[in-house]
Amino acid sequence: MNPKPLLDIEDIHVEVEGKEIVRGITLKIFPGETHAIMGRNGSGKSSLSNALMGHPSYQITHGKASLNGQNLLDLSADKRSRAGLFLAFQYPMAIPGVTVANFLRAAIKARRGPEADMSDFRKLFKKEMDALAIDHSFATRYLNDGFSGGEKKRVEILQMAMLQPTMALLDETDSGLDIDALKTVSEGINRFRSDDTGVLMVTHYQRLLNYVKPQHVHVMINGRLVKSGGPELALKLEERGYDWVEEELSRSTGA
Amino acid sequence: MAKKDAKPMNDKFDNNGLISDLSNVLKQGPEWLLEKRRVSRDSFNNSPLPPRGLHLWRYTDPQKFINVSSTATDSATVGKQPSQINSDLSESDIPKGVIISSLSDAVENHRDIVEPHLYQLINSDTGKFEAQNGALWDNGLFIFVPSGVTINKPLHFQHVSSNAGSNNYPRLLIVVGDNAELSVIDEHLGAENNSDAPYYSNGAVEIFGYENSSVRYANLQEHSAKVHTFFTHRARLGRGANMLTATMSLGGLLSKQNYGVILDGDGAESNMYGLAFGSGHQHLDCHTLQHHRSSQTNSNIDFKVVLRDRAESAYTGLIRIEKEARNCEAYQINRNLLLNKGARAETIPELEILNEDVRCSHGATTGQIDPMERFYLEARGIDPSEAVRIIVAGFAESTLRHIPAEFRQGLQDAVAQKLKAM
Repeated sequence: MNPKPLLDIEDIHVEVEGKEIVRGITLKIFPGETHAIMGRNGSGKSSLSNALMGHPSYQITHGKASLNGQNLLDLSADKRSRAGLFLAFQYPMAIPGVTVANFLRAAIKARRGPEADMSDFRKLFKKEMDALAIDHSFATRYLNDGFSGGEKKRVEILQMAMLQPTMALLDETDSGLDIDALKTVSEGINRFRSDDTGVLMVTHYQRLLNYVKPQHVHVMINGRLVKSGGPELALKLEERGYDWVEEELSRSTGA
Repeated sequence: MAKKDAKPMNDKFDNNGLISDLSNVLKQGPEWLLEKRRVSRDSFNNSPLPPRGLHLWRYTDPQKFINVSSTATDSATVGKQPSQINSDLSESDIPKGVIISSLSDAVENHRDIVEPHLYQLINSDTGKFEAQNGALWDNGLFIFVPSGVTINKPLHFQHVSSNAGSNNYPRLLIVVGDNAELSVIDEHLGAENNSDAPYYSNGAVEIFGYENSSVRYANLQEHSAKVHTFFTHRARLGRGANMLTATMSLGGLLSKQNYGVILDGDGAESNMYGLAFGSGHQHLDCHTLQHHRSSQTNSNIDFKVVLRDRAESAYTGLIRIEKEARNCEAYQINRNLLLNKGARAETIPELEILNEDVRCSHGATTGQIDPMERFYLEARGIDPSEAVRIIVAGFAESTLRHIPAEFRQGLQDAVAQKLKAM
């Protein structure tokens, strides 16, 4: 057993445009673990993952966050990435004129250093594209430019596979996917999971969790994790919605 | 015209910046050419400065070109050509009947082709500085591709201002026959050994694409830092002809370029992709003309500008569609990317559409790099300055992809160089 958490976040508060969206979250993710944070739109799930990645619009006003013992909050976004953190975006940006291949080559070079041998790149790239059923023509297409929602999500997972982070934050990765794409993307996530890696999925539907099974499920309401449990919690949320959690919450705080 | 304090060092011009001495260029050439030069000289000397009220000159002071042309020295003389043809074309790559020659030789040896074309598209009626080139051009090149002939590899001309501080007046004449194909790289480089010396370059390019011909013309302006450069390009397309124009403007302190395509035969098509990248205190002015004189003609311009430091740019683009030109399509887009505060981009589209049977649109945007695009790259481990480089390279890509592959890397490097030390 490795007693040290991979991702260790403690009492994190996040503001967006001066408004507090995340109001004190504490969470430890150990190597080999997959966690899911579920919650309604606006509950602060995406704000948490964006803030952890270093998004300029999300300010962490309080708390600690570390990856493998390294303080993340001291690092710029690019350094957080090179330290092993990955965010699969809910809305990936289009970068016109920059091909998927050139972008990924630059990202891998940023990890390996400017003089590094890149001779394995093409082979690795083709292999991962095949695994995610991405047509090879995407290599020369401009990144996310004119991609469908499902294509963007596949390419996010392609990037994760290529960059080999240790900790992946997956922000609504299931949205915009049809059932076939959902399966392909889930398989990609499952291939990524290992004894050394961690996954935090942020979603408001259960359906991704049918394919990528988390050990821990947390419910987020109004910027706080109000309930945690095992996979059965996700099923209960799917069946009964979030109202019962809120009722439970008001009973306990009201008492 | 304003008198200047500094005594002119240039023996071609008098104290008022007028051309006083044509003896150098009048020593050579047939009488018909000498007459053209005299007419051009008189036009240059007698015409007023272009009015600043016109869009064409709103952002660039023409007096600056007068000042620099009459004070910097000329050392290029007729017959001594700083321009050279740099090409990996071997004799066997050049099909029979193709002529590649200095323009001064061509006026003697190929008068039948040269005389009906030279000065047809750019002459003293085009403007004052076009007349200046018409009087003084001193290192010209001529290309003729006969009907039905294709040159498979791009032809590369390099105009190197080999003598630092010397003015030059390059002129290029290209005639491409029916169903013929040609690709040309026209590269203007500064002197490497003395990049701080000011000089003046006034170039003119006339291109004729006859019926169903296909011409690709790429202009790479990489003058050294203190150059004032004035440049005019005109291409005329016949029926069914197709032209691709790609322009990169990177160098010079003051650069004014004017690119124009005249669609003069039914079904002709022109696509133009431009990129200007200014840094330091560069002033880059570019005008484009899409002139539809025939029916079913299409033209498209995508002109991009990147600016950093205190650089400034002006883009003016005119679409003119004549009354008799029916069922035409013309599009123009100008996008300006400012990398910091203090850089400034001006843009003016102009439409002169004389009939209603057209499809036409134009648009312009000016903005900074989207911080969300940058964050996306940074979130993949790419450091902030490299992220900017990649985004700018992506912005430039729409132009670069139309430049022959063997020149692309060099231009990407030149763009990367301009982004250094941000």
